[in-house]
Order: sequence, then C-alpha cells, then structure tokens
Amino acid sequence: MVVDHFEARLVKLARKGDQGAFAELVDLYKDKIFHLAYRMLSNRHEAEDIVQETFLRVYKSFHRYDDKQKFSTWIYRIATNLCIDRLRKRKPSYYLDAEMNDQEGMDGYTLIPGDERTPESEYLLSETQEMIHQAIEGLPAKYKSVIILRYLQDLSLQEIGDVLDMPVTTVKTRVHRGREFLRKKLENKVF
Amino acid sequence: MDCKQASSLMHDYLDEDLTHGQAVELKSHLKDCSACNERFKELEQTEMVLFAAIKPRSITASDELVDRIMSQIPNQRKQQAWIGWIRKHPALTAAAMFLFVMLFSAISLWESDDQLVVKTADLDQVIINGNTVTVPSGSTIAGNLTVENGKAEIYGDVQGNLTVIDGSYYQASTAHIAGEIKSIDQALDWIWYRITDMFTEVAYK
Repeated sequence: MVVDHFEARLVKLARKGDQGAFAELVDLYKDKIFHLAYRMLSNRHEAEDIVQETFLRVYKSFHRYDDKQKFSTWIYRIATNLCIDRLRKRKPSYYLDAEMNDQEGMDGYTLIPGDERTPESEYLLSETQEMIHQAIEGLPAKYKSVIILRYLQDLSLQEIGDVLDMPVTTVKTRVHRGREFLRKKLENKVF
Repeated sequence: MDCKQASSLMHDYLDEDLTHGQAVELKSHLKDCSACNERFKELEQTEMVLFAAIKPRSITASDELVDRIMSQIPNQRKQQAWIGWIRKHPALTAAAMFLFVMLFSAISLWESDDQLVVKTADLDQVIINGNTVTVPSGSTIAGNLTVENGKAEIYGDVQGNLTVIDGSYYQASTAHIAGEIKSIDQALDWIWYRITDMFTEVAYK
C-alpha cells in the first residue's frame, strides 16, 4: 500500500517532466522489465534493448497513460508488446537455432571475445533449471508471454488480461495449455 | 466425472479458482483414477517448479543501462514539447508564421533602400547636391515634398507636407511650409507611414 502510494507519486511527478522521478521509476522497473524481456527473448543484448525502448515509449506516451490503471500493468503491456514484435520479426532459422541450442543465452553477441556478457548457463548450476528454461523457451509466443507474466512477474489472471488486453477466459485457457505443454516436456526429465 | 473434466478442474485448482464442491468431486475422482492422480501430481510439480525456477538469480541488466536511458530522455522531451505546442495551436502558429514573414520582408525592404529618393510634383524647383535637397528661397513647391535617405534644407515655400525619412531637415527663417512636417527614422514609424501612405493613395485614386 505504501509502495503503491510512493509509486503513484513518482508517476505523477515524472509525467510532469520531473527527471529525478523518472530516473527512480527506471530504477524500480528496469530489472523487472529486463527479466521479462530476457525470458521472452533468451538474449541479453536484445533484452536490454527492450528495456531501453520500453522506457522511451513510457516517456513519450506519458500523456496517454490513464492513472486509473496501475502503472505496472501499463509498463508491462508496453514491454510485452515490444517483445512479441521482436519475436515476430525474428527469422525462422534463428528461432530453430534458439530452440536447439543446448547452451541457453548463446548467440552472436555473447560469442564476441572480450564482451563482459556471460551466457546464463554459467550461472545456472542445476540441470533442472536449465531444462525448465529451455522448456519455456520452446513455448509458442502467445503461451510464453502468459506463462512469463504468471510465474515470473507473479501477476494474477485478471492482471495478465489487463496487460495483454484480452479476456480472463482466454488468459486461463492459455495458462492451462502452457502448463500442460510444460508438464509434458518435463515429465520424463525432471520428475 | 470423466478424465477430461477432471483435467480442467485440476488447472482451475492450480489457478486457485475452484469451489469447495468442485474440489470434493475432483478428489473423489483422483482416488479412483490412477492416471489422473499421476497427472495431477505432475501438474502440481510443474507449477511449483515454474514458480521456483523462473525467478531471476544473479543475472541483471547492466549498470550503465539507466544512464543510457536517462541520456536519451531530455532531447526527446524538448522536441516533443515544441511539436506538441504547434499541434495544439495551429491558428497561433499560422499567425506567428505570417507575422514573422511580414516582419522579415518589411525589414529587408527598409534596409535595402539607402538611396536618395525625392518625391515632388515640382522637381525643377529643388536643387539636389549629393544627398542634400534644397528648396532655395524664392521657389515654390505646389504640392508635397518627400525626401528619403537625405537632408532637406528649406529656404523657400512648400505648400504641401514635408516628409523626411531616415534623414534630417533644416528649416530657414525665410521658409514657409503650409502642411505638416514629418520626420521618420524608425522602422515601426516607417511601416506605419507606408500603410497610411498606401491608404491615402488608395483613397485619392
């Protein structure tokens, strides 16, 4: 409640052009947006691009933000749409590569020598986690966004509906199908 | 209850969206059906594993990302404000543009003529020497005399108005000027003179 109030104040100030308040909002949300984008795209570099683009959009279209809506819902909507666009624009071959790649997070950027970015597989000690991440990566985009918002961002079904601008019944169906898909993928490996 | 119905209820249960009655029904089905029981366990584990595993560990956005974002903000803002204002006030923008163009052309017109210009009906009655226009004593100008960018020296008679633009005039004690004497040396006065001049000309024609 206190956090919500604080956030609402920041949003109000930032909308009036207060740069300090905007910087605080960036600080509050940059990691959440980054993780969302990283899970959606499985690429660090692209995820950072999405974070940057999301905040620029927020700044540019602040006049369109309706303050009856939660700020988080609004910013997640912008970020998710940017991710979905990005996935659509990807070449199909890249898509296949991404699915078959056994080292998560590996791509052209991470292979550049001297780059300080590290593929996530180095952080992931457990095979189980790696398997789960790969399973999520293999989800079709429309299930992926729902699953990520549900499990990573801890959003309720209603909130996911608000973010993706779709009825709760659709969200439910997608959560069920996504869950079923993941269960089948993990059934003989993890359990 | 068949297995298909049971499966749908399992998901509702995981969504915390199951009524008490439905929960009792589902439980009794799970007791009897080992396939569904197995499936339920797997779904429950999937759910727990997802919540636990998807959470970010040490991977975070790079530190300079905030600076990068903030450095892009101000430029964006200035441009936005400027364009936004124009979009909101099209009439004012058009008026401002019009005034700007008018002022610009008027100034360039004003600055362009620094040549001596003498306007009078009786040009033979004046003596022009350099940029000095002299009406000698004894000569009479029947109408108006206008001198631009020069000096007017009046010793004789002017029966109309004397107008001096961007210059000076000297009136001797012998001079007689019947009309008004106007001395204009400022842009605004000059514009006003042009406008009134245009109207009087129009009115006379």
